[in-house]
Amino acid sequence: MTGSDSVTRILFEAFSANEVRLFYALSLAASTVFCYGVYVQIRKYRRGAPYRPEGSLLARIAGMFGSVFSHRTLDRRDPAAGGAHRLIFYGFTLLFIGTATITLQYDILEPLFGIRFWHGTFYLAFSLVLDLAGVALLAGLGYMMYRRAWLKPPKLDYARPDRAPGDPDFDRSAYRIEDWAFLWTLLIIGATGYFLEAARLVWLEAEPEVWDTRWWSPIGAAIAGSLRALGMSAAAGGQLRHGLWWFHGIIALVLIALIPYTKVKHMFTAAGSLLVRDPLAAQRLPRIPESQARPGFAKITDFNWKQLLNLDACTKCGRCHEACPARAVGAPLSPRDVILSLREFANQALEYGSVPDAVELDVHGKAPGQVAMETLWSCRTCMACVEICPVAVEHVPIIVQMRRKLVEDGAMDPLLTKTLQTIHKTGNSFGESKRKRGAWTKPLPFKVKDARKEPVDVLWFVGDYASFDPRNQKVSQTLAALLTEAGVDFGILYDGESNAGNDVRRVGEEGLYEVLASANITALQAASFKSVITTDPHSYNTIRNEYPDFGGRFAIEHYTTLLSRLFASGALAASTPLHYRVTFHDPCHLGRFNQGYDAPRELLTLLGCELVEMGRCKANSFCCGAGGGRIWTPDPAGTETPAQNRIREAAAIPDLQVYVVSCPKDLTMFEDALKTTGNEGRFVVKELIELVREAVPAGRPAKREVITA
Amino acid sequence: MSGILVVAEQRRGELRPVSLELVSAAASFASTEKRTGDAATTVTVAILAQDPAAFVPALSVAGVDEIVTVTVAAREFDPDTFESALGALIDARRPDLVLTAHSVDSFGYAAALAAGRGCGFATDVFKFERIDGALVATRGGYGQKVNVEIDFPGRATVLLALRANVWKPPETPAAPHLAGPRITDFAVPAPPCRTVGGEFVEIAAGDDVDMTTAEFILAIGRGVGEEAKIAQFRALADAVGATLGCSRPLADAGWLPKSRQVGQSGKTASACKLYIAMGVSGAIQHLAGMKHVSTIVAVNSDAEASIFGVAKYGIVGDIFEIAAELRRHF
Amino acid sequence: MVAVKQVATLDEDFEIRADGRDIDPDFLIRDLNEWDDFSLEEAVKIKEGSTQPVEVIAVSVGPDDVDESLRKCLAKGADRALRVWDDAIEGSDSIAIARILAAVARRESPDLLFAGVQSSDQAHASTGIATAGFLGWPHAAVVAHLTYAPGASTAAFRRELEGGVLQEGQIECPAVLTIQAGINTPRYASLRSIKQAAAKSIAVLSLEDLGLTPADVGEAGSSSHVRRMYVPDKGRAELIVGDAAEQARQLAAIIREFKGAAP
Repeated sequence: MTGSDSVTRILFEAFSANEVRLFYALSLAASTVFCYGVYVQIRKYRRGAPYRPEGSLLARIAGMFGSVFSHRTLDRRDPAAGGAHRLIFYGFTLLFIGTATITLQYDILEPLFGIRFWHGTFYLAFSLVLDLAGVALLAGLGYMMYRRAWLKPPKLDYARPDRAPGDPDFDRSAYRIEDWAFLWTLLIIGATGYFLEAARLVWLEAEPEVWDTRWWSPIGAAIAGSLRALGMSAAAGGQLRHGLWWFHGIIALVLIALIPYTKVKHMFTAAGSLLVRDPLAAQRLPRIPESQARPGFAKITDFNWKQLLNLDACTKCGRCHEACPARAVGAPLSPRDVILSLREFANQALEYGSVPDAVELDVHGKAPGQVAMETLWSCRTCMACVEICPVAVEHVPIIVQMRRKLVEDGAMDPLLTKTLQTIHKTGNSFGESKRKRGAWTKPLPFKVKDARKEPVDVLWFVGDYASFDPRNQKVSQTLAALLTEAGVDFGILYDGESNAGNDVRRVGEEGLYEVLASANITALQAASFKSVITTDPHSYNTIRNEYPDFGGRFAIEHYTTLLSRLFASGALAASTPLHYRVTFHDPCHLGRFNQGYDAPRELLTLLGCELVEMGRCKANSFCCGAGGGRIWTPDPAGTETPAQNRIREAAAIPDLQVYVVSCPKDLTMFEDALKTTGNEGRFVVKELIELVREAVPAGRPAKREVITA
Repeated sequence: MSGILVVAEQRRGELRPVSLELVSAAASFASTEKRTGDAATTVTVAILAQDPAAFVPALSVAGVDEIVTVTVAAREFDPDTFESALGALIDARRPDLVLTAHSVDSFGYAAALAAGRGCGFATDVFKFERIDGALVATRGGYGQKVNVEIDFPGRATVLLALRANVWKPPETPAAPHLAGPRITDFAVPAPPCRTVGGEFVEIAAGDDVDMTTAEFILAIGRGVGEEAKIAQFRALADAVGATLGCSRPLADAGWLPKSRQVGQSGKTASACKLYIAMGVSGAIQHLAGMKHVSTIVAVNSDAEASIFGVAKYGIVGDIFEIAAELRRHF
Repeated sequence: MVAVKQVATLDEDFEIRADGRDIDPDFLIRDLNEWDDFSLEEAVKIKEGSTQPVEVIAVSVGPDDVDESLRKCLAKGADRALRVWDDAIEGSDSIAIARILAAVARRESPDLLFAGVQSSDQAHASTGIATAGFLGWPHAAVVAHLTYAPGASTAAFRRELEGGVLQEGQIECPAVLTIQAGINTPRYASLRSIKQAAAKSIAVLSLEDLGLTPADVGEAGSSSHVRRMYVPDKGRAELIVGDAAEQARQLAAIIREFKGAAP
């Protein structure tokens, strides 16, 4: 090995002083353009409303780096793209670190402190790593190009359901062009990097320190060998190197300069978005601050800086577009297009010297960049989009905030208006008298305790559907019997209960939500209990995640965890296994919202059922379509509903006997869809409680224990 | 009792049938009064029109003692005309009881007339009688869920607006050998007319269905819930051979054309013999258009719905299930 | 000026009051009269469609709980709200209420006075027109369409007659019009806007403010007197029992019998 000191690459070798100055000048120019771009972006975000992220900064930084380095969010539902992006990311990052390392020594440490380290073994190992990084980068890019050009996944054509052909912003080819431009630019930078490497080797073949160590840059060396084989002389190599150096350098500087102006900025915006991620974004919606004059988002400047950052973080990957149940049945909603429209709007409104007048900042409507009413009202607030987004875009709170403005204006379907008025008047969406809330308990052979009047261990928050809908009343009665047989000391609030408000809030009627939440919190605080259970995942979500913001903190669980414990303790025992072939539909508000995937499955196993999962299960469960107030709004005639789509998915399971649900709205929607898809008779829809009842015959003495929840 | 004054209604040259129902009500009340031994109670009918004589033959029915013809300038109903003419007639004749219909026209004048003259006043009355010497009128209350008995202590004249389709009109004409009613003319000065009545406008048909001639009607109401669910009832109506009708909310929402609306401000199912009401609660305005039908079947999930009060047969159940099951038979 | 009423619907298992003349108030659910949504909306539409300033005043007669309905009117676009109450008003019928409303109208001198055709609870269909009688103003009932330029001396309207017919008309102003449901689409008042409307004060007027005495209102000022309220016997429908299939089978039989009778 030659003296390690001399095994290195000489920067700007054989460049004139002017050339070096020119290069630094260009770098400065590129940096200036870059910095200005960054300034414009930050100024845009600051034009939004203030926002304070919760939680420790350190924890969020750690979380962000964890996501970014593991790429786990990108692997979800598109592992090939995740893998290819991992190659691109690590390749590019290593190459960048490489350049930064050189700059560190060359421009800082050496001139100031005389420190040199980039030579000898370090330099050779460095060269190898970077060569491999380049391979990774090019392989990743190659796959991405193959994916777009040959595999052509539909989500990458960016077709949007919320505009019609002929609308000015219908055409998305600008995005596709930008995507290809980015891929090609990186590819060219990578490829020219190797050729540059090879050209230098050919040029310096006479120097043993360079030539003898060339296989530490294997790709470069291989290309150098081919070039020489083709007859390239050292001098020609030098010229090629000189030319390629400038070419490669300028393209790289241009790319750097353009980062804040193009999709390349996703490197920073995505990381930034992950940094300020709210894991409870869709589960716990924000209150309206007292200072705010009109509720909801009317203008782009009503969005807070985090949301504006979210808009820029979107990489158009299309996972939300694919997951959305409204989009799947042809509604004019794609979460991706909501974000992209708003991004386009924010860019044309907020990236200039002065912010336009309020009237030009209105984000509602059908003009380019605006979001139409029909789009916002199609949302089921199922949070499939938020859950799957690899860069932590939070679509649902944005949609709800925009709905708040629509509600204030009264711009809703008349049936929805009627339902809100009914809920305000009677406290439930059925328009029934409050006094009838406990009527479902009357046919029972035992009295259900009134939790307003006497203390109970477990307070059962029943919910509208389970109290008033005849089909769901039967389920409530069944659970009441099971709990009694298991010796659980439980009670209900009777007339003291109102609609929990989860869906009212997600419709955007925040004022009504506050009225309902206050009423329920008062009723709950007046009662004496150890914990709360519910059969309604929507109530579960809002009581668990949102009531604390209103002063009501209660320990609540969904009935599935309670029943699981009762079986575990022997208070309930299945006499014979059911042996049904079943599938389980994870309710949005229990599963995706609150990670309640396991307890129902434990129960099904306990009952001896054979569980066959549907393709879209657990976090990817496909919403029945009732959320976001959609159960109160008619679906357009002649189109498929999400529930029908889901039943058809289940019908593809051979010999399926039972489609199991654990949410009252699911029961209603899917029983209806079973009939309207013509699958009646092929399998049945049952609530999990009803299966438990089948397996646990009444009257059989269970282990009598006082169950404390 | 110094007499009952009945106010006849005419529109577009025709006597409105409710006028004869009023006569019937007056006549049967008058006959109960006569039995109690007081002086005979006369029934006087007032007809206000440009040519009141034209309506005399139609009004010459059993029970009418006198027809008072009042010639007025306005061709059609006008509140100022009615109030001044009837006011003058009441001042002149001092009837104890004035009967008018609870109709759109009377909505326009009766309350003002009663207020101005200090009469006893009640509207939408479907029964009236004398109890212990007091005149007692019965009407509905709290959305027709209860009945209310009203009396008028200390009132010399009582004005009652009677509900339509409750009293049966008398046979026409009066028995030929009896003398017809006395015809008297009553002159009134023309009042300043502050309202001018104009043309009549038929509400756009929508389709050329005529609910008034349909013999078999299947009507749907708010219970249907949403527009998309109407299709199955349309198909059911076709299958069973009925004409599809609806209550007001569906027509107001535009889900069905106004021509299909049955009710007070819609069409009267005059020729109908079988009326199946599904998801119709039975608001009084809808009943006005169909409660006379001889066979009414009500299907509703609410056992307390008012429609069951007029129906011959009732089914308490889910209208969609019943519709689906019924479809199987046709 | 828009006269509105807070009506009552009967709750489950309601009970008649001890004196037998009205319902026990515990079982009454109160809300703004459905027709008044339409008359208020019509007034606010006129205001919003006008280039000159128009003031919409909502007025109601009743005790404090009526403020809730008046606040809803303020949230929907009324500029001011007035409430009239005195214990002596208790027991008033529509004629007595009309006397009060007429006094308020004399005080405020509106160009138009709207009322609903009727209230959804008692459906007298009298209060608006009786008010016109006391005021001596031109009046028209069951208005299904209205064209009015604020400050004009006449208004054009259509009344909705029986049997699906409308009649056109012209009326001199100031006038009293009773507004029919369906004339427009009432706007939604979000709960937040109703809460914010609470900031606007509701002026409460006494009988003295209106130049009325207790003899003008209550039972003394009414044209009728309630003797008794009772629940009538239930309807006479013969119920067809069984499950849906059985009920449908019997209904099909009724239909076939009917069609067999008709050729």
